[in-house]
Amino acid sequence: MLLPDHSYVKAESLEECLKTLRETGEKAKVIAGGTDVIFNMRLKLFQPEVAVSIRGLKDLLQVEELDDGSVRIGAACRLADLIDHPLAGGRYPAFRQSLEAVASTHIRNMGTLGGNICLETRCWYTNNSDQWREGLQGCYKTDSELCHVIKSSTKCHAINNSDTPPALIALGATLTLQKEGAKREVPIAEFYRADGVDFSVLGPGEIVTHVTIPPVSDRQVFIKITPRKGMDFSLGAVAARCDGEGEQISNIIIVLGSLVTAPVVLDKPAQVVLEAGLTDDAIEKAADLVRDELGEVSNLYGRSIYKRQIAIVLVKRALTQLREQ
Amino acid sequence: MARETKTVRETKVGTPDRSRRRPRFEGELGSREKTDLDVIGKRQPRLDGPEKVSGRSIFADDVQLPGMLCGKILRSRYAHARILSLDTSKAEALPGVKAVITAKDIGEIDVNGREPVFASDAVTYIGEEIAAVAALDELTAEKALELIEIEYEELPAVMNMRRALKEGAPLVDGKTEGNLWSDDIDNYGEVEPAFETADYIFEEKYEAGVTHNLFAEFHVAVVDFSLPDKLTLYTPTQTSYLMQHALAPAFGLTLSQVQIIHLNTGGAFSGRGSVRPHHYIAILLSRETRRPVKIFATGDEEFLVCRALGENKYKMRMALKKDGTITAFDMEAEMDGGAVGTEVGYFGWMAGLCNSWVFPLEGLRMRRRCVLTNNRPNFLGHGGLMLSTNAAIMQLINTTAKKIDRDPIDLLYQNAIEEGHTGLSGEWFASCGLRECIETVRKASDWDNRYGKLESYHGLGVGIGSMAAGAKGAFRHDTSAVMVRVGEDGIVTVYTGIPDMGQGTHTTMAVIVAEVLGIDPNDMKVIAGDTDLTPIDVGAFAQRGTIQTGNAARNAALDAREQLTVYAAGKLEVDKDDLVFRGGKVYAQNAPDKSMGFEDLVYKTLHGKEGRSVMGRGFYNSPLQFGTTSWSFGAQIAEVKVDPDTGEVQVLKVWVAHDLGRAINPLACEGQIDGQVYSAMSQILYEEVQTDAGLYLNPSRLEYKVPRSYEMPEIDYHLIETIDPFGPFGAKEIGEGIIVVSGGAIAAAVSDALGGEFIGEMPMAPWRVLKHVKRVQRQEAAGRSAA
Repeated sequence: MLLPDHSYVKAESLEECLKTLRETGEKAKVIAGGTDVIFNMRLKLFQPEVAVSIRGLKDLLQVEELDDGSVRIGAACRLADLIDHPLAGGRYPAFRQSLEAVASTHIRNMGTLGGNICLETRCWYTNNSDQWREGLQGCYKTDSELCHVIKSSTKCHAINNSDTPPALIALGATLTLQKEGAKREVPIAEFYRADGVDFSVLGPGEIVTHVTIPPVSDRQVFIKITPRKGMDFSLGAVAARCDGEGEQISNIIIVLGSLVTAPVVLDKPAQVVLEAGLTDDAIEKAADLVRDELGEVSNLYGRSIYKRQIAIVLVKRALTQLREQ
Repeated sequence: MARETKTVRETKVGTPDRSRRRPRFEGELGSREKTDLDVIGKRQPRLDGPEKVSGRSIFADDVQLPGMLCGKILRSRYAHARILSLDTSKAEALPGVKAVITAKDIGEIDVNGREPVFASDAVTYIGEEIAAVAALDELTAEKALELIEIEYEELPAVMNMRRALKEGAPLVDGKTEGNLWSDDIDNYGEVEPAFETADYIFEEKYEAGVTHNLFAEFHVAVVDFSLPDKLTLYTPTQTSYLMQHALAPAFGLTLSQVQIIHLNTGGAFSGRGSVRPHHYIAILLSRETRRPVKIFATGDEEFLVCRALGENKYKMRMALKKDGTITAFDMEAEMDGGAVGTEVGYFGWMAGLCNSWVFPLEGLRMRRRCVLTNNRPNFLGHGGLMLSTNAAIMQLINTTAKKIDRDPIDLLYQNAIEEGHTGLSGEWFASCGLRECIETVRKASDWDNRYGKLESYHGLGVGIGSMAAGAKGAFRHDTSAVMVRVGEDGIVTVYTGIPDMGQGTHTTMAVIVAEVLGIDPNDMKVIAGDTDLTPIDVGAFAQRGTIQTGNAARNAALDAREQLTVYAAGKLEVDKDDLVFRGGKVYAQNAPDKSMGFEDLVYKTLHGKEGRSVMGRGFYNSPLQFGTTSWSFGAQIAEVKVDPDTGEVQVLKVWVAHDLGRAINPLACEGQIDGQVYSAMSQILYEEVQTDAGLYLNPSRLEYKVPRSYEMPEIDYHLIETIDPFGPFGAKEIGEGIIVVSGGAIAAAVSDALGGEFIGEMPMAPWRVLKHVKRVQRQEAAGRSAA
């Protein structure tokens, strides 16, 4: 499986990068660590004419504390470097757990935070070689109006299988998105869309440049369930955070990842434990409500009935761990 | 097309006369004495280890020949379809394309007399070869494939055995009635009487899914057939010998005109035992273009090229007496042969036999039905069908023990055969340490204090098994030959045709030769992997390496030693029978001061007046007409933990005792144990090709889940030496004897963790285990409310 023909632009500055992206439009693909982009190019899922590298852009490599105590992290920072960084993994335990959960040492050494946030949704009907895909009718991801995962669906059900987003949503992070001549701040909770093809609000020529995490309490957790330890995408992941002491809590947020096309913020279960506190009963009751909020869970990468069960277990475990913190 | 009906083939073999001590073999037996050895039994790191771990070993894909082209294969994307038209003209016109071939270009050549090289009128499985191109580079070859135009008419396909066997199901090959490729029944001893007089009969069903052998080295063939009288093929294989025998007649060549170079082989696991379509295609492309051609499988192609295990379903019935004596088994197996009928039924027979001959049964009945489907042609995985069969039988015995209130390890011990037993199918077990193995793991694991007393969702399971070390049958001979060249500098080179697929057999051969010549194996070289250089060897399968090639190596070394004794005996003035070769020296048995160095002896032998250059030759052929002389035996206990929330299983520890005859190289033996426990765990708990209408959804190392080193359990090794009379220095096998038993022990342990629930599905993936957990929990809840 060879890489498709393409040219490679190593941007010298953020301005140059954004300019190139505007000029090349849809023909371009941003590449940072390359751990996902290169692989998808080999599968011919991405066939960009230009690969625009943001690796090494100084503006995107900073980790700094802002005046209000927030931490701003450049999107091109490598996952491995953030794990032990005192302002990143060192300050936010759930973020650290999510960083450690990504793939393998080698991939974390190359992969970047921005890349993990923008990770292409995955599906075993598309994430195989182009020759393999010839055996199938196209789908929303390629060239047809069809989803192989849920045949009756009017949209793509590929899974958002990325580890850091649930944690960053739980921590209330905000993304800085930039394109030539424009810059905006979007809460990461509003970044993802429930559509496997058009899975984020990124516009043409726009990239994620920074992630800003506000100061939050240490009561936070991230758990990922995988078929094997490491080097694996998750069957389901949860991130949760709250304020307060013991069973009494405030400001709780619970996020599930890797189960559907976008991370899911669980409102009703959060409401239950917010009102009743983190008691055994309330945790059970909250877990029972997970199923309703997830919506349709497909058989992609695992039986749907099993994945729904996993979601319940994850929420129970997360809430129990929060209580113990 | 005429329909072919396969009739049931049924055989009956009565109970053998067990009063005869050696019913099938009257040959000479070797010494059973456990002599004091110098090199054998020491922990010898593999000789090619440094090369392998530093990336310097050469594999077939590393081979670059001058002018070599890249070959690519166009494969069917349909499970069943008629080919209405096939137009290669655009591909042929593409600059850089040197040849495009299809069924019409290759004459009568087929693959092993069984399957076509290219589909012509219809395709019968996804991945079937339709056309191939050879081009200057990979990109051009890929583009050429895209330019081949095919019109298909899709036909109804049968994707599983249940549908294939349904009345009126579409016929996979258009002629085999009912899609039943073979239906064999073998009866041994008195089956029906045993079931009629049984006090208990227990029955269970077991199903195993589709797998891949998952070798580290992908399928690859590099061929030079640019001259008509010389065919050179570089490819990983378990047997260059069988490849020569298949390819020479197919291409009108003599055996010697076919050179197979297998270099290092990166794993085989029963998956590299025969020639495959891609070998033929690379040869045909090379012949057509008169240039060398390389074909290598891409990641997902790898899962289509392989001939691994398909879906297999078992029904097991076991007859017992009140006192726990197991008297009979009745096993039925349905095996998905895929789109091409294979001898997988034969391996079903092997699996049934080898897992039941550990018991002194009164009767054994085995039925194997091989079913055709529109799936990839299936064959074998690591541990063959023996792994899944053992997992079913050992689970059956462990759960049965609970039901009749017996300790499973007692039940197994009570029923275990002993040395000198004659099995129902006539095999005579000249050495057997089965009971010692059971006792060893029982003690080491503290079974008596722990079984049935673990915390909830923890389980202990015990398995036993045996494995034939070599099985003569493919030819009238089962010969391995070895040459030993003693260099002027005292460095000894061993020439062997047996492939080392990672099992470390080359180092084993060096150790055996070193023992005989009294030298250090680290000073030796092994030349292997090229049929133009090395003597005949049937290959590395059926656990024949140590016993067949090992005996040949021993004989070759003895021959070389005999040549060296001529000079030494004269020089030291002792009888040559009194000479001892040990520790790099040659000395008199009773007068150790009369000695000379090995290197000195070699030098003087060459520089003496005869100019004697020493080269030993040796061969070994099983003394039997058919079958096996020696069997390994083993017992293992596995401890597992099940997560009742998620169904995940963690194997915590495995205690292994294996009667391997003699441990030639304990380090390699432990390596074999590690690898096989790993692979058994992987197959029992993880490995499964996910399919949708015949399409493989997870054809990659990422999505075809296998555990990593993190999941590896602690292992407690016990090598039990019974010194077999046939094996070299008493050695038998440690090839696949371990994996089979590990499978049984792990499966039984999972079952024990769920209170004796029989888990009839393999792999025991978390979602399946969770279903059983829920079932057990419901039963317990019902039990509590009833109480």
